[in-house]
Formats: sequence, structure tokens, C-alpha cells
Amino acid sequence: MKTMSFVLCALACALFTGCHTTAGTSVVLNHDTGGSLICEGNTRLHNAMAVTAVTYDKVPNGLNRVNIQLSSLVQRDQFLQYRIAWYNSEGMEIDADTRSYRPLTLHGLDAVTVTGVANSPAAVTSRLRVREVRSLR
Amino acid sequence: MKASFNFFAGLTLLAAFTGCVSGHGPVVVGNPDDTRPLTTRIEPQDIRNTVEKMTESLLADPGVLEATKGEKPILDIEVMKNRSQMIIDMKNITDSIRMRLIRSRQFRFVDRSSSGVDITIMDEQAQLGLTDPRKAVRPGQQTAAQMYLTGELTDMSQSDGRTLHRYYKFSMILKDLRTGEIVWADEKEVSKVTVRPIF
Repeated sequence: MKTMSFVLCALACALFTGCHTTAGTSVVLNHDTGGSLICEGNTRLHNAMAVTAVTYDKVPNGLNRVNIQLSSLVQRDQFLQYRIAWYNSEGMEIDADTRSYRPLTLHGLDAVTVTGVANSPAAVTSRLRVREVRSLR
Repeated sequence: MKASFNFFAGLTLLAAFTGCVSGHGPVVVGNPDDTRPLTTRIEPQDIRNTVEKMTESLLADPGVLEATKGEKPILDIEVMKNRSQMIIDMKNITDSIRMRLIRSRQFRFVDRSSSGVDITIMDEQAQLGLTDPRKAVRPGQQTAAQMYLTGELTDMSQSDGRTLHRYYKFSMILKDLRTGEIVWADEKEVSKVTVRPIF
């Protein structure tokens, strides 16, 4: 009986608090120095996905571009979202409202490359954020 | 005590599963980024993603700069055609793409849709006598668009039992007016799947 009460209570708590977190993995890249920093704020995502390559270049009109390869470490599909934000030399985000989270499906043990192009010539630093998302599937 | 606790926990679960209010609850300010798919239709986040993808693709494409020999191209925009079954404001999408391209400072735009207003203002400057004639803007000096951007939205749907799959495709092209050549083209696919509940 006690077990039943505990299960019911835990289920109710889970429903009200939500079962997912918006913390995820972020990759910060300075396009002037080439220095990159990977921060992993979600243990489950850390165990399921890894950043395996970061490259950067410039598109023909001089805007910065970043390519980041994400690799799955598990056999199941992962339903993720990612957003690449751009920052000026003072560290302030440029046109934050115009950058949205995009859906990303990472198949089991697969790797995908996400690409972002700066939205302004003033952009010198990019920041990729990847987070988990609940799915209907 | 145990019985009342179990009753309360059960009631909480029931309320969570069935919903315990009728009509709309309190309204909160939403974040477009946090919106998850609600329907199989095109939703705001799909439009945001499409606009962002098209803008990035256009900014990264070398063909545009090659066509203008390195100069910032002057574009016009033709409202995208809607060939889908959905009613959707296509001007809204083309306006968003234009706004982002202008803000990138890599493209210049003319706007054919407001040419009538331009003529009205120039006429007033020339005829009303309120404007200094030396400063009045005369017709015939506007710059010309070198290329125009246009596109279309198409859709397709499939169903299998209780599963409904809807597929949308935004496709866009940039055409050089002088040569008639398509300088850039790209597309963005949106796929939505839903399973109809049994009850």
C-alpha cells in the first residue's frame, strides 16, 4: 500500500514539475582566435551526445560561419533542438530575437553537422546551444 | 489518513490527465522558441526556422556575389506563392526574409509595392508649393533592382490508419533580371506526424 502511495505521489510530482530540462550542451567559439569551449550542463545529454568537431571559416561576403559536428553515443533516436547565437566584440548578442531553436533529430550512433552563418559583419563569437526536447514519438 | 492521502494523489493524477478547467486558463507571455508543435499545420516556429534557414543560405552562397561582381546586390522581392491547402500569409514570410537580409547589410532592397506612395509624395513635393523646389525629389532617379527573390509553398499529406503525415516544402529562388539566370535556390522541408487517439 505504501509503495502504491509513493508511486502515485511521484507520478503526480513528475507531471507537475515536467520531465525534461532546458539545460544542455553549449559550444562557444571565438572566430578571431579560434578558441573554443564546450560546456555540458545536462548529464543525460552528456552521456548521449558529444561534440566531435568544430570548424570555422568565412563565407564569400566576409561573414563568419561555424560548422559543428554532433555525434550520438547511444543507439536510440534523440530529438533535440539547437540554436546558434552570434556575439559582437563586446560580448553582446546580435539580433537575439531573430535566432530561433531549430529541431534536430540525431539517429542512433549517427553524426550530424550543424552550420550557422553570422547575421552581421560585427559577429566575432558564436555560441551553439543544444537541448533535449520532448517528442510525441 | 492513508485513505485520504491516496484519494488526494489519485484526484491530482485525474486532474492532470483530464484537465480540470473548462475554457481558457490564465494567459502567460510565451516565447516563440519554446513553442512545441501543436498541430500538423504550419506554425510560427516553422516559419521562423524557414526564414532563418533561407537567410543563412542566401548569405553563404557565392553565386550572388559572383553575379554582381562583388558589389552588394540590389534586390526586389515578389511575394511567395501559396500552393498548399493551408491559408497562410505569405507576405509575412517574404517580409521577414527581406528584413533579415537588410539587417545583415549584405543586400540592398527596392520595394515595388510602395512605388505608388513614392509617386504621390513626389507629386506633392512638386505641386503643392510647400517644398523647396531645389530639394524636391524628382521621378526617374530611383535605383533599379538587379535581381528578385520569390518562391512557393507546397504541401502533401498521407494517412495510414490513425497516423497522419503532413509534408510542407518552402522553395525559393533568386533570379537575375538581366540574364534571366537563377542565381540561387534553396528549399526547406517541414514534416509533421500525428497519431489520432483511439478515444
